[in-house]
Amino acid sequence: MATIDIQIDDRHLKATPGATILDICRDNGIDIPTMCHLEGLSDVGACRLCLVEIEGVRKLQSSCTTKATPDMVIQTQTDRLKNYRRITTELFFAERNHFCAVCVANGNCELQDLGYKVGMDHVRYPYLSADCDLDATHPQMVMDHNRCILCTRCVRVCAEVEGAHNWDVMNRGFNARIISGFNTPWGESTDCTSCGKCMHACPTGAIWPKSATMGKLEKNPAMIGELVKKRRMDR
Amino acid sequence: MPKKKIATIWLGGCSGCHMSLLDMDERILEIARLADIVKCPIVDGKELPEVDISLVEGAVTSDEHLREILHIRKQSKLLVALGDCAVMTNVTGMRNFFPLKDVIKTSYLNAPSNDAQGSLPSHPALLKLHEKTYPLQEFVKVDHYIRGCPPDADTIFHVLFELLHDRVPDITSMHTLKYG
Repeated sequence: MATIDIQIDDRHLKATPGATILDICRDNGIDIPTMCHLEGLSDVGACRLCLVEIEGVRKLQSSCTTKATPDMVIQTQTDRLKNYRRITTELFFAERNHFCAVCVANGNCELQDLGYKVGMDHVRYPYLSADCDLDATHPQMVMDHNRCILCTRCVRVCAEVEGAHNWDVMNRGFNARIISGFNTPWGESTDCTSCGKCMHACPTGAIWPKSATMGKLEKNPAMIGELVKKRRMDR
Repeated sequence: MPKKKIATIWLGGCSGCHMSLLDMDERILEIARLADIVKCPIVDGKELPEVDISLVEGAVTSDEHLREILHIRKQSKLLVALGDCAVMTNVTGMRNFFPLKDVIKTSYLNAPSNDAQGSLPSHPALLKLHEKTYPLQEFVKVDHYIRGCPPDADTIFHVLFELLHDRVPDITSMHTLKYG
């Protein structure tokens, strides 16, 4: 198979044409933090954590949505990028209401792990104390918008893998909310199949099963990628 | 080496961080060899003297806490935010989504455990709650942040031990950070 030559962090690498920079980095053990990326789902570049520097390109690019082209020269670990990753992480924690001490996902949370990874010991921005609802109308699961980071993994897994299209995004910016149906209670949804894929795809404690108690939540987001892979005809 | 002075202070928190402090067990003796603990909520109510290190538990929830934290900053060479309430308000900040008067009414008048004859606390000696609670860094410069609800005794000991030896403690690595 034809390959292209690219350079990442001063390493000369061979890559498959059409592969994203993030895929190539992961294949070569180069660590780039992500929240909205999930193996098996399409990429949307929403979380801005995977930004990289590309020589000759003035703006930072999200590595999950940028395909590598021949002779690209990429930096993934500069001080500038590390600074932005820390800022992005702090803004996640400042925007909604993340109280790890009383969260069902404590100890099993991708957002928490991200904070540890970027060395976030405190948040330098004011906490916004966003007015968020909690939807517990579904018989098995809860959607707590306080803990949602709008990665849209639930929206995409529901549409792309389950095919139910129950979840969507309403409003923009600070007022953006994940909605079930046309902003109706989740428990009243006629589209939701109660498959639980959104719960597994959710990186935080925003969607969780009612059976889980504090700090005891277990999720299996890798299951989504495996499922998609097993369904492929050409595997 | 002259002995250093440590103060530990309890603002808007549950005292769980101080329990963790005591969980250092016999290592407190090691700290005591290097420093005098000149003020501590479980010891006495003296005015805070000038100290080398102050460990502050809890968020700033009221006029009294605000006065205290400004005074603590003035008196301390190093100010350490001890635990999640001090760093990000944590459970004490969960009232920030509601108007204060609703929070007070819920606690003192409408609580399910209430005998339906509750009364609002109004004694002049009581602190005046602010509309919202804030982390320490909202008002003063914080030199070190110890995360956790409560923080691990090992982390607290590590921070004190390093600071008492004039070294900068490493508490932002993946192994020492702990939220919640």
